[in-house]
Amino acid sequence: MNRIESVLAALQEKNEKAFITYVTAGFPDYDKTEELIRAQESAGTDIIELGIPFSDPVADGPVIQAASFEAIKNGATLEKTFECMEKMRGSGVNIPIVFMLYYNTIVHYGVKNFMDRCKACGVDGLIVPDLPLEEQQEAQDALGNCDETIMIQLVAPVSADRIPKIVGSARGFIYCVSSMGVTGQEGQFHSKVIDYLSQVKAASKIPVMMGFGIRTAADIAPMKDVIDGAIVGTHFIQLLRDNGFSADAAAEYCRTFKKEMNEL
Amino acid sequence: MKNEAYYGQFGGQYVPETLMNTLDELERAFEEAIRDKDFMDEYNYYLRQYVGRETPLYYAKRLSEAYGTKIYLKREDLNHTGAHKINNVIGQILLARRMGKKKVIAETGAGQHGVATATGAALFGMECSVYMGKEDIERQKLNVLRMEMLGAKVVSVESGSNTLKDATNEAIRTWAKTAEDTFYVIGSAVGPHPYPKMVKEFQRVISAESKRQHMEAEGKNPDVVMACVGGGSNSIGMFADFIDEKDVQLIGVEAAGLGIETGKHASAMALGEPGVLHGMRSYLLQDKDGNIQLAHSISAGLDYPGVGPEHAYLRDTGRAQYVSITDDEAMDALVELCKLEGIIPAIESAHAVAYAKKKAKEMTMDQSMIICLSGRGDKDVNTISDYLAGKGYLN
Repeated sequence: MNRIESVLAALQEKNEKAFITYVTAGFPDYDKTEELIRAQESAGTDIIELGIPFSDPVADGPVIQAASFEAIKNGATLEKTFECMEKMRGSGVNIPIVFMLYYNTIVHYGVKNFMDRCKACGVDGLIVPDLPLEEQQEAQDALGNCDETIMIQLVAPVSADRIPKIVGSARGFIYCVSSMGVTGQEGQFHSKVIDYLSQVKAASKIPVMMGFGIRTAADIAPMKDVIDGAIVGTHFIQLLRDNGFSADAAAEYCRTFKKEMNEL
Repeated sequence: MKNEAYYGQFGGQYVPETLMNTLDELERAFEEAIRDKDFMDEYNYYLRQYVGRETPLYYAKRLSEAYGTKIYLKREDLNHTGAHKINNVIGQILLARRMGKKKVIAETGAGQHGVATATGAALFGMECSVYMGKEDIERQKLNVLRMEMLGAKVVSVESGSNTLKDATNEAIRTWAKTAEDTFYVIGSAVGPHPYPKMVKEFQRVISAESKRQHMEAEGKNPDVVMACVGGGSNSIGMFADFIDEKDVQLIGVEAAGLGIETGKHASAMALGEPGVLHGMRSYLLQDKDGNIQLAHSISAGLDYPGVGPEHAYLRDTGRAQYVSITDDEAMDALVELCKLEGIIPAIESAHAVAYAKKKAKEMTMDQSMIICLSGRGDKDVNTISDYLAGKGYLN
């Protein structure tokens, strides 16, 4: 079984929601990235979305763009991120890790080589925001029908008739974008967001997570019955920055969010 | 994978899920519109009465004598707003209106496409925002002023390298948020399907006219058709009606900047590395880590790290040949065209003229070539004077 799928199955068993955070790889450096991931694993974060910095992050808002550019300036590369993964997996880090990256990074590395490397170093899933369902064949072929690494599907409030097609063969979880556009538009959830989430939930056999614009557990209270977890990206990056990348502050935030979410 | 979105392995729709239904809606509207006689009549009406088409296919006698083959210049520089960009803008804005969109957005580098879009928006009473890199806003003050005079809002993009590629990213981000009432007018033959196809159709008029005009003048097809290539809009328009004429050699001229070997160039096809940017798979300038590299060219309009997917395909199939011309070669050709023909070309177009000189060496006076003179050089006067001053030409 895929690591993401087993963690989510265990949560379902306990009737708990999943808490997922986004961390930019190599921001501000790889030692910090590793420290933050370890701290979050201890604090009970369920899955980490690890952003691979790219020069042209077209699906990201200003906060994650800035993190991405800074990481690149500080020397972050895909190769170093793979090495960081190997180091963590080789020293007891077991939390599921999903790479969030743009398709050019994969194409540049060579699609087959990239997938093989992901499988070998414990990357459990891939979120590729500029790779819609119609363009995924090449990536899926290179992955083969394996359990080590899976593609995570994104759904948007305007996906409408595309929803059944997208969730049909999806694995792991469905990533529901709560608002239009890019990451990090706090508090402006699409007006019909609950209807839309319900529609996804009804069509999906796997857990449904909501991301984009979430800051606290209270933000998801209105939709707690139709989602199985929350993804915090922009706010988490901002929080890291505001606290000088303190692993303790990150862990504290994760513990609180997770606790409050499951008390909703 | 949608087959019609591809040119061989290039093209596609590499965009966030948020935009997939929007692209679908756009594709349907576009395919309907170009088959609708009323729509095309209106498009042609504005090209004739507003843009000032058709443009001449001018036999450049002195240039021909100097270079040693018959050279015809397709005078896109005589269009309203000074370049071929307006052909496409009129088409896309009419389509936007037909789709019920009230606002248009555009990206711009040097500002030519921004000015053309602002012009079209003014003409049809639409709200217009143009995304432009902070660096470019500083370098192209005059065009910023023109856009503002035409009623457009110029949005300064401060992200990444603060240039055209980042302005394009920001336009895509904005579009993803606002697609319900906003139409994104892309200026070059790039972007996700159906944009490359749409831009080609709305620039096809260049080759449709040229083919007929050359036939009238020479009683045959030209031997060579040549155009400069940044993203590739004037060139795809110049090639369109000649692609199936196998006896016509098609040549696209990219910008070699300071020289391909220096790394400071804008020739996406010279190194031939495929990648994915701005919704398409095509040849792209990238560094060793797969980040997009900044292009360099003295011509702002060719200063783009990618190229339209159909050009990548035409290159790979061998139907078209792609070459490159350095800043210096382009500027020499620019000066030569001024002196021999009394035409100040855009620096972009001068790249095609420069390669024509090389190509003509293997041609005779019985043969002919068409060069797409995509724009006029008024916008470049400052750049030209700085360049010439630096090089001491004026002394």
